[in-house]
This record gives sequence, C-alpha cells and structure tokens, in this order.
Amino acid sequence: MTAIRPRAAWRRVDVGCGAACAILALLPPVLELSAYAHNLMTLTFLMIAGALAWNWMGGFVGQVSFGHAAMFGVGGFVAGRLMLSLHLPAPICWLGGAIVAGIFALGAHPMLRLRGPYFSIATIGIGEASRLVFTYWDRFTGGASGLSLPLDGDLKYQLYWWALAFAALVAASSVVIRRSSLGLKLLAIKADADAAADVGISATFYQDLIFVLSGAVVGLSGGLYASYFSYIEPGDMFGFDRSISFVLMAVIGGVGTSLGPILGAVVFVLVRTYLLASYPQLYLGLYGLLLIVIILFEPLGLTGLARRVLRRIRPAPGGAPP
Amino acid sequence: MARLLDMGLSAVLLAGLYATMAYGLGLIYGVLRVVNLAHGGVLMAGAYLGFCLHERFGIDPYLSLPIVAAAGFALGVVLYQGLVRRIPRGAAGGPASLLLLFGVWLVLRNLAYLVFTGNDRTIRTAYVASSVAIGGSHVSVNRLIVLGISAVIAVALHVLLRRTQIGRAIRAVAQNADSCTLAGIDVHRVYALSFGLGTALSGVAGVLLATIFSFNPSSGSSELLKSFVVVVLGGLGSISGVALAALLVATAEVFAILILPAYLTTAVGFLLLVLVLVVRPGGLFGHRVLS
Repeated sequence: MTAIRPRAAWRRVDVGCGAACAILALLPPVLELSAYAHNLMTLTFLMIAGALAWNWMGGFVGQVSFGHAAMFGVGGFVAGRLMLSLHLPAPICWLGGAIVAGIFALGAHPMLRLRGPYFSIATIGIGEASRLVFTYWDRFTGGASGLSLPLDGDLKYQLYWWALAFAALVAASSVVIRRSSLGLKLLAIKADADAAADVGISATFYQDLIFVLSGAVVGLSGGLYASYFSYIEPGDMFGFDRSISFVLMAVIGGVGTSLGPILGAVVFVLVRTYLLASYPQLYLGLYGLLLIVIILFEPLGLTGLARRVLRRIRPAPGGAPP
Repeated sequence: MARLLDMGLSAVLLAGLYATMAYGLGLIYGVLRVVNLAHGGVLMAGAYLGFCLHERFGIDPYLSLPIVAAAGFALGVVLYQGLVRRIPRGAAGGPASLLLLFGVWLVLRNLAYLVFTGNDRTIRTAYVASSVAIGGSHVSVNRLIVLGISAVIAVALHVLLRRTQIGRAIRAVAQNADSCTLAGIDVHRVYALSFGLGTALSGVAGVLLATIFSFNPSSGSSELLKSFVVVVLGGLGSISGVALAALLVATAEVFAILILPAYLTTAVGFLLLVLVLVVRPGGLFGHRVLS
C-alpha cells in the first residue's frame, strides 16, 4: 500500500484537476473542435462519469457488477420518454432519468444482501432480464427500433459542457468519498463485511446507499448520452457490451483508486473507437485479453503502472517502498 | 390435465441437462472456492465443438462426448495452471478471479464469433425429429438420450468422488486444503484436476444443450445463471441434492410459461436466485455454500 500522502500533495492534485477542467472547458471555442472530436470528447466525459460510478461499487465496496447497463438504459429511456411525451426541459428529463435509475437500483435491494460471486452473478441476471423486458416493452422504448429524440443543435453543442461539468462533479465526489469517513467505512466493508458489522457499520445499508448513488450517476450519464446522440435503442443501451464497458474502464484505469477510472475511460473510448473502425471482429477478445493481463500482472491497472514509474523516478524518502 | 402432465414430463427431461450444467460449476466452486465465470463460455465452446465434429467428421454428438470431455479437461488444466493459480486465494482474490475468468469468457466468445460467425446454429442429427410415446404424450428421443446421459454422468461422478483415491483427495482438499498439504497431498494438482474435471463437465453439458437448443457465440449467460441457481439451491454436499435442485429449477421454468410471457422465462432463473438467497441462503438441503 502507498503511504498516506501529506495534505500538500493532495492539494497539488486538486489544483491540477481543476486546471485540466478549465482547459477542457475552453477547448471548443478556442480550437473550434471538429464535430468528430466534439463527439469523442463528450462521449469520453460521459464514460468517465459512468466508470467512476461503477468504481464506487466495484472498487470502493468491492462488489463487481456486470449489470450496470441496466441503470444506464433506464436513465436514458426515462429521460428520452420525458422529453418526447411531456416536452420538459432537458435538464429536468436527465434528472428524472437519474432518479428513476437510482430507484431501479434500490429495487434490487434483495440482491444487495448478496456479496461476492452471488452479487456478481445476480447482476448478470438483472442486466439480461432488463434488456429483455425493455426490448419487448415497445410502448416505452420503441422496441428493437428504438427511440428518436428531437434534434437540437444548440443543446448538442452545449452538452459538451454539461458532460464535462458532470464528469468533474463525479470525480470530485469520488475523491470526497474516498477521503471521508464514508470511504473508510466502505473500505472496512470491502475488507471484511462481518468485522465491519461488529463495529457498527452495516454492510447492507452502505452497500444500498452506494448502489443507489452509483445507479443514479450511471442513469444520468445515460440520459445525457440519449440527448447527445438523439437516438437510443435497447440493444445498445442495455446490452452486455455496455455493462462490460463499465467494468473494463475501471479495471484498465485501476479498480478501487479514486481517479484511476478517468484514465481508464479515456483509454477505453480511444481504443474502442480505433478498434471498432479497424478490427470490429476482434475487439471483444482483445478486451478479454486485456482484462486477463491486467488482473495477472498489474491489478491496479494504469494507476498501478504510473505509481510504479513514479517510484522509479522519485524513490520514497526513507528507503524502498514495500 | 394432459397438458400439465406433458409439462411435468418435459421438466424432468430438462432437469437432467440442468444438473449436468451445474456439476461443472459446483465442483470447481466446491473445491477451489472460485466461481468459474467462464462456465457460460465453456458451455458455448462445448456446443460448437460438438457441432464441428458432427458437421466435419460426421461424428454423432453423443459419441463425440468423450472427445469434448478430453478437450474440456485440457482447457481446464491450462486455465488453472496458467491463470487461476496465480490469483490469491480467499477474500482478496474474489473480485480478481471473477474478472479474470470473465476475461476468459470474452476471449472464448470472440473466438467463436471469428470462427463460426454470430449466426444461430443447431446440431441436426437424423433422429432429431423422432419421438416415442410415453403414457399418451410424445417425447423427443433426443431429450430422452440427454436425460439418460445425465444420469450416467451423475452416477459416474458419484463413484469417482466416493469410491476412488482421487475422489477422496478432491473431497479432502475441498474440506481443508492446508491439512492436505500436511498429509502429503499435492493441493495444486488436485486443484488442477478439479478445474479440469469441472470444465470437462461444462463442455459435455454444452454438447447436450446443443442437441436440444440452438446456440450462438453469445449463448451462455442464462445457462450460467441457471447453473448457479442449481448449485446454490442444491448445496455442494451431495450429487442427489443438485439433481433435486435441477428438477426444481426446471419445473419452475417450464410452469412459468403458464403465467409469464415467453420472453420472460429467461428471467425465471434470476427470480429464483433472488428468492432462494433471500429465503434459504444456505441452500435447500442445509449445506451452506458460502461462509
């Protein structure tokens, strides 16, 4: 484990992140990003938020979910429906989608008593079941042909900042959760749920709480995604690939680290875009290989790799790190 | 009434298949405490191997079972020695082993896409449509054979685990691996053996599955779910417990058609899982699966 860093070092990270956000926010008007770059970056922001939220569950609490697409889809379709049927302003629709997605996650309450492999396999079930239900529920989701949302060029352009602000907020929350007593409680639950219960930390309660928060964030990301691409269909929103993508982004970046999934999401979106364009028939297997390699050789993903490099460059004072 | 009888019969026929699926997952979990998330992928791979042997070499799917079992065993041993062995045991290795084997599943799935494309396949034997009359209802010969083979496998597994030296070693390691090391049992060899055996069983179950249902590279997730439900329900203690649990799951699934729309029957496995875990987390027969 790394030693606890002094406060000053943390502040430096904070300032760096803030500066990065400011630069990113200025990019579209200054550089006049192409539509393609605009697309890619907005998508990356949304995926960053999703990956961070997955990491709250998979990394902080240690419950690996293979079904986060369910909340992504629910958030997206509820937001889309609100837009189409009630013509509400977009932010209210997104919020509505996020709330319903959170409630949907809470609906999985009986599942949340499950831990470890039980939980993971149940999430595969929930993912598959919701994909089926929402594909056949065509009054709500438009069935296999999906929903087309009204096109709005201005909103699409502005969504860059919405997505950026959203990702920044989720990243800040990750850091806050990690540093707060809540983060310590989650760590305790991850290490040993029974021992945590002995000192008065209810694994069920905190797991519920984090799952609802994580579900709402992923749902909000789904709503923004729906608005941005103005077309959604259940096979994509609820698909197994979608669930896997959240897992992969977190694993690539570093499961359980507070900001690693950001790195994972950036790499994932870029690599995926490249792979889908060049080797569409190989990308699933390559992800599988990547998963295997990371788990075997660098369980903390890119974050672990970066820490290793940093230690080489600047060895910790007081001898070699453990 | 006749319809209910028909349904009961098809539940029994299905149960054999489910039990075979579950033995593969249960054996690995029971001995190594690792949930083989690649189970669904191995089922799928077994189905394709059976399909391939039938199409290319004209080997009857039921006669190809030994070949598939051998291939499955080899795959399992390689997976254990190459991957699973490197993961730490216990709570720390939990998420890691899940993610690792999930990666294996993705690779298997992609290989199947590459070789066989994403189209649905079926194994068409000459007798695929023939049936025999049992008490007024017609039963597919295929399904009867599958039930028969499942029964043979269950008995063979029972004999292997209860009556042979290897079986005794496997059961001992499942109980307490550390003491086994003291007693001079090569624990890693037993682990490799169990992983191989479990994967072989999954592969065989895949062929059986393929003789009844159509399949494609993404098949396997609902089968994984059902196998898991059966293992949890039946506990790890007894082969007959698993068989009984398989019967229960199959019955629930067959009769769910009466109240649920057809596309939702896949969700029955999930509903059962939640129900079982909430009501009887220790399994129906008292053998607690997870401490």
